[in-house]
Amino acid sequence: MAETVVLAAEARPGNGTRGARKLRKKGQIPGVVYGHKEATVSVAVAADDLHQAIRRGARVLDLNHGGKVEKALIRDVQWDALGHYILHVDFARVSEDERITLDVRVELRGTAPGIVAGGVLVQQIHQLHVECPVISVPDSIRVNVGELQIGQSVQVKHLTLPPGVKVNNDPEAIIAAFRLTAVEPTETAAITPTAEQAEPEVISKKKEEEPAEEE
Amino acid sequence: MPQMPKRVKYRKSQRGKVRGKASRGNFVSFGEFGLQSLESGWLSAEAIEAGRVTASHFLRGEGRLYIRVFPHKSVTAIPAETRMGKGKGEPEYWAAVIKSGMVLFEIAGVPEASARDCLARVAYKMPFKCRFLTRRPNI
Repeated sequence: MAETVVLAAEARPGNGTRGARKLRKKGQIPGVVYGHKEATVSVAVAADDLHQAIRRGARVLDLNHGGKVEKALIRDVQWDALGHYILHVDFARVSEDERITLDVRVELRGTAPGIVAGGVLVQQIHQLHVECPVISVPDSIRVNVGELQIGQSVQVKHLTLPPGVKVNNDPEAIIAAFRLTAVEPTETAAITPTAEQAEPEVISKKKEEEPAEEE
Repeated sequence: MPQMPKRVKYRKSQRGKVRGKASRGNFVSFGEFGLQSLESGWLSAEAIEAGRVTASHFLRGEGRLYIRVFPHKSVTAIPAETRMGKGKGEPEYWAAVIKSGMVLFEIAGVPEASARDCLARVAYKMPFKCRFLTRRPNI
């Protein structure tokens, strides 16, 4: 579980694009706090602090705003088109005795012996939809692939989960699988046209209509 | 051989304009690392193929490569020393319309250092400025 992060937020007066742009120029990120049937509050947080918190894997943090500290879940983050900057952040109020659902990333651990034999480890699920108490949100779900042989896979039902954590994904879903490179058809091979095909087939209605006219 | 569509409704298409930044296909979805275009334009099927071959040679069967773009657009050209008129030229090549921010290639199953080396070589084949990209923090 990640350390508790305290994030200072201040109320922002102006809503709208212009206000948000001014905030971003000052090194702040506009956000909103909602939930628990309380008033929705528009806030601004320091960009550096938020980036650091997200990079550390913090999902639930203590939000200090308006003279009070409340627990909040980072529910959504909007990025710019290039993925450089955060444009906006959503905080959802949570209480310590509550159970929440969120996505947690999957971390593969270990070097599988199948790699030496020419296999490729293909990770099919990168994040799991879990339900857990607010006070014990895991940073990641660790999956040991150290003993996987070629042809074997790890499914959701094989996972060893931290206490209190429940996974909502399909238990039969494959998280990671070891496959032989030669057996695995690459995506490119499937879509590469054959040498005979110099030009694509044209879907035209005229060809269907022409025989009717002749009759 | 470069990619092209199997079936099309029309052989020739108008040029169009590439405006704005990508709002879809602009983050790593399938693999662990990606190559993101920082400019807009047309990416020819030959360039995509060159990138694929470069990556395949570098990876030598390790890891997995994902190509995130496909050349859906036909580009026409008229022969040299042709008089004005006589209509639109014949399709010359196929291209993918790329907006800045689009992820062109993705790699999975290799260490970051290796992926960086590989995608740097692929970027050399691209007609755009590109940057290395990792998965977004999980929120």
